[in-house]
Amino acid sequence: MRRHAGAIVLFGLAAVAPLATRDAYFLDTIVLILMWGAISSAWNVAGGYAGQVSLGHAAFFGIGAYSAAVLTVHWSLSPWIGLGLGMALSVVAGLVIGYLSNRLRGPYFVLATIAFAQVLLIAASRWREMTMGSEGIPVPFKQGFWTLGLASKVSWLYLTLAFALVLYLVQVYLEVSRMGYQLAGVREDEDAAQALGIPGRRLKVIAIAMSAALTSAGGTFWAQYVGFVDPFYVFSIDLSVLFALNAIIGGAGTALGPFLGSILITSLEHYLRATLSDIAPGLIGVHLIIYGCLLIVMVRFVPQGLIGALGALFIRRARTARGERLART
Amino acid sequence: MAALPQLVVSTLLLGGIYALIAVGLTLIFGIMRVVNFAHGEFLMLGMYLAFWAFALWHLDPYVVLVIALPVFFAVGLLSYWLVMQGVIKASHNVQIFTTVGLSIALQNAALVLWTGDYRFVRPWHASEVVRLGGAALNLSQIVAFAVAVAFTGGLMAFMKFTQAGRVMRATAEDREAATLMGIDTERVYRLAWTIGIVCVGVAGVLLSPVYTVYPQAGLQFVLLAYVVVVLGGLGDMRGALFGSLIVAAVETVGAYTLGIAWKEVLYFVLFILVLVFRPAGLFGQRGAETLGM
Repeated sequence: MRRHAGAIVLFGLAAVAPLATRDAYFLDTIVLILMWGAISSAWNVAGGYAGQVSLGHAAFFGIGAYSAAVLTVHWSLSPWIGLGLGMALSVVAGLVIGYLSNRLRGPYFVLATIAFAQVLLIAASRWREMTMGSEGIPVPFKQGFWTLGLASKVSWLYLTLAFALVLYLVQVYLEVSRMGYQLAGVREDEDAAQALGIPGRRLKVIAIAMSAALTSAGGTFWAQYVGFVDPFYVFSIDLSVLFALNAIIGGAGTALGPFLGSILITSLEHYLRATLSDIAPGLIGVHLIIYGCLLIVMVRFVPQGLIGALGALFIRRARTARGERLART
Repeated sequence: MAALPQLVVSTLLLGGIYALIAVGLTLIFGIMRVVNFAHGEFLMLGMYLAFWAFALWHLDPYVVLVIALPVFFAVGLLSYWLVMQGVIKASHNVQIFTTVGLSIALQNAALVLWTGDYRFVRPWHASEVVRLGGAALNLSQIVAFAVAVAFTGGLMAFMKFTQAGRVMRATAEDREAATLMGIDTERVYRLAWTIGIVCVGVAGVLLSPVYTVYPQAGLQFVLLAYVVVVLGGLGDMRGALFGSLIVAAVETVGAYTLGIAWKEVLYFVLFILVLVFRPAGLFGQRGAETLGM
C-alpha cells in the first residue's frame, strides 16, 4: 500500500474536490490535469517503460479525436463506438509504425514518429469530405452518457478520474509483471536482453500499440470534453511534446510521474493564462517559454524527474534520521 | 512538357536553399551526434533579424547578411555555453529534449516579443521578375540561391582544406582517437555548433524576401531539412546536397502533378520509406541507425 500512497492521496483529493467547491474554473483545471496526466501516462507506456521515445504521439491522439467526431457527425453514432474505432485504428497504426521503425534507435526513431504525425496532419487537413479539412469539426452536443454529452463538470471529473485510474493501474501492471521486467531489460540494454532470450522487438511493438490505443482513448475524451477538433492542434508536434514533457518532468517510467508532471504543467498553464491575459493578450505564450526552459533544466539536472528528486530527498532524510538515531544509541 | 524548364529551375533554386539549412544540421549531427530540434528556430531568428533591420532602418536583406555573420556567431556561442555544453556527454534522450526545450523557448519568446502576426520583407528585388530559358523567377530567389551555394561551397572547402576542418572531420570519425591525438573535442563541438547556427541564421536572412516571417516559420523548413539530412545520411555533407536536390525535385514535381495541397505528403512518405529501408541514408554506411549514432 505504501508505494501507492502518493496516488491514493492525489486521486482521493480529485475525487472529493467537487464536495469542496463547484467553481467551474477550478473543476475544469482538475479535469484537464487528470486528462493530460492520463494521456502522458499512455505516452509513458512506450516512452518511459519501453524506452521508445516518441514525438509523434499526437498522431494517435488525433485518430481518437477524429474517429469519434467523424462517426458522430456523419453517421450519428455514439462516441463510445468512436472510442473503440479510434483505439482499433491506433493499434493498427501503432503496430505499423512500431514494426517499421523497429530497428531505429535514438534520434532516428524520434524523427520517424514526427514524420508519421505530420503525414496524418496533412491528410486530416486536406481530406475535406471526411474531416471538414483545415476548419476542423465541431463535435455536436447531445445530453446523455451514451452520447458523452455530460453537461456538468462534476460528471466529467469522475469520468476522467476513472480514465486516469485505469492508466495508473496499467502502468503499475508494467512495473510488477513479467512483461514489465522484460521491457525494462530491453530499455536498459536491448542487445543483452535479446541475448537472454527476451523477444525485444516484439515487446517494443506491443508496447507502442498499447500506448497508441490508450492515447487514442484520451483523444476521444478530450474532443468530447472540449467540443471541437482542429487538425492543426490535435496532430501538432507541440501536443506530442506536451505528452512527453509531463512524463519527463514528473518522472518517465514511473506510474505517478506523468500525473505529477501534469499537475505542475497544467496548473501553471491555467494560472499563467488567466493572470497574464489580464495584463496583455500578447503575453499568452509566456507559459510556453517557461516550459521550454523548465525542460532544458530538468533533463540536465534532474533527469529522473520530480519523482526521482523527491524519492532521493526522502531516502536521504530517512537515512539521516536513522543516522541520528544510531548516533544517539 | 512546356513546364519542364520551370520545374528544373525551381528545383535547383529550392535545392540550393534547402542545402544551406541542411548542411548546418548535418554538420552538428555529424560532429556532436546531436539532432538539433531547435534548428528551425534559429532560421526563424534569421528571418526576424532581416525583418527588423528592414522595418526599422530600411536595410536590404543582403546588407543584413554581413551583420548576420557576427550576430549568429554570438548567438551560436551563447546557446552552446548556456544550453549545449552541459549535455554533450549525456544520453540521446537528454540531448533530444534539451534541443526540444530550446525550440519551445525560442519560438514562444518570438511570439511574446514580436506577436504572431505575419510579417513581410519586400525589398525591390523581391518583385523583380527575371526570365531564364523559359522559366520566370524573381531576383531574390536567384540571389538567395547564389549566396546559399557559395556559402555551402565555402563551408565544404573549409572542412576539407583547413586545419580546423581536418580536426572536425577527425572528431566526427572517431571521438576517442581524436582525443588521444590531442584534439580538444570540447572546442570542436563548440565550433561545429556555432558554424551550424551561423549557416541556418544566414539561410533565414536569405529566405526573408521570399517567404513569410512568423514565430513558427522555422517548422516547415526544419521538417524538410530532416528529410534532406536523413536522405543524404545524417552527418554526411555531400549527401545533404544530393538530399536537398531530391527533396526539392519531389516538392516541385509533386506540386505540379498533385497540387500544392498534397505535395508535403510525398516527401514525408519518402522520408518514412528511407528511414525504414535505408536509415543510414542513400549513400550512408549501413547499420549506423541501430547504434543510434
